[in-house]
Amino acid sequence: MNDWQKKSPLDWETYLNKLVKVIAVEKLQYEGWVLTVDPVSASIVLATFPENEKASISFIMGHAVQEVEILREGDSHMKQRLARIFAPEESQAYSPEELEKRKNALKTWLETNHIPVAEQGELGRTLCVAGVLTIDPPYGPEQCSSSNEIILSRVQGLVQGYLEKQH
Amino acid sequence: MTDPLPVPVPILRLPRGPDSSGGRGFCRDSRGNSQHFPELQAARAALRERFLRLLSSARGRPARFWLWSGISVDAVFGAADAEPVAFQVDSLRTPLGVQGAALLRCGDVLAFSFPL
Repeated sequence: MNDWQKKSPLDWETYLNKLVKVIAVEKLQYEGWVLTVDPVSASIVLATFPENEKASISFIMGHAVQEVEILREGDSHMKQRLARIFAPEESQAYSPEELEKRKNALKTWLETNHIPVAEQGELGRTLCVAGVLTIDPPYGPEQCSSSNEIILSRVQGLVQGYLEKQH
Repeated sequence: MTDPLPVPVPILRLPRGPDSSGGRGFCRDSRGNSQHFPELQAARAALRERFLRLLSSARGRPARFWLWSGISVDAVFGAADAEPVAFQVDSLRTPLGVQGAALLRCGDVLAFSFPL
């Protein structure tokens, strides 16, 4: 384990949203904004926004990191830009009102079928089914998420069937 | 009649009880950290969640992997396992041709990147 890997997660957290230069083995160098550091492997994930080119994401494996130098703090504009990378893909096809309608329709249908469902999250945009599965907008089978494979597959099937009946 | 003489019972020597500092055998250092433990765990969880989301955003994207000895290869990112220990990739371009699917060991990969 190198020094970087031995750091505490609280230490790694201090690098978030900062512009850093990572010096890795074999003279590899990476410069970018820290999106996260994996606490399991100490891998650093950087975002770079070169001019006139597409933004890119780089993963530098923890075992390859030799030195990390902080170059700059991120301002609020940069923090927003980085946060957008994490936001689950907003579906272009639906307006906020349509998403709200879809959510309420699905919620009602689940309740009618005696499946416990609640809204969660800051904006109430996520549906939580039986406390073990979540459904994000736009509330299709692909947006279902659960650590229980059986429940996941059952609910995906139900949502799929429900959506097919709508058309 | 008088009561029969009580039979002497051997006295067991029990192991020493916990010391007065209340350590109960736990390492002293970890008790010091326990004050920070909830923050530590929250930081760990937040960092890991971000990492997993970023890994899932890599799925299906063409990426370049830097290996040892200055070698780099292009492939389409497939998946990573828990630690990660290995990366599964599709269409790995090697000097011998394109490999349909392959596993790259994490220890062999120094870094990889893909455009958004």
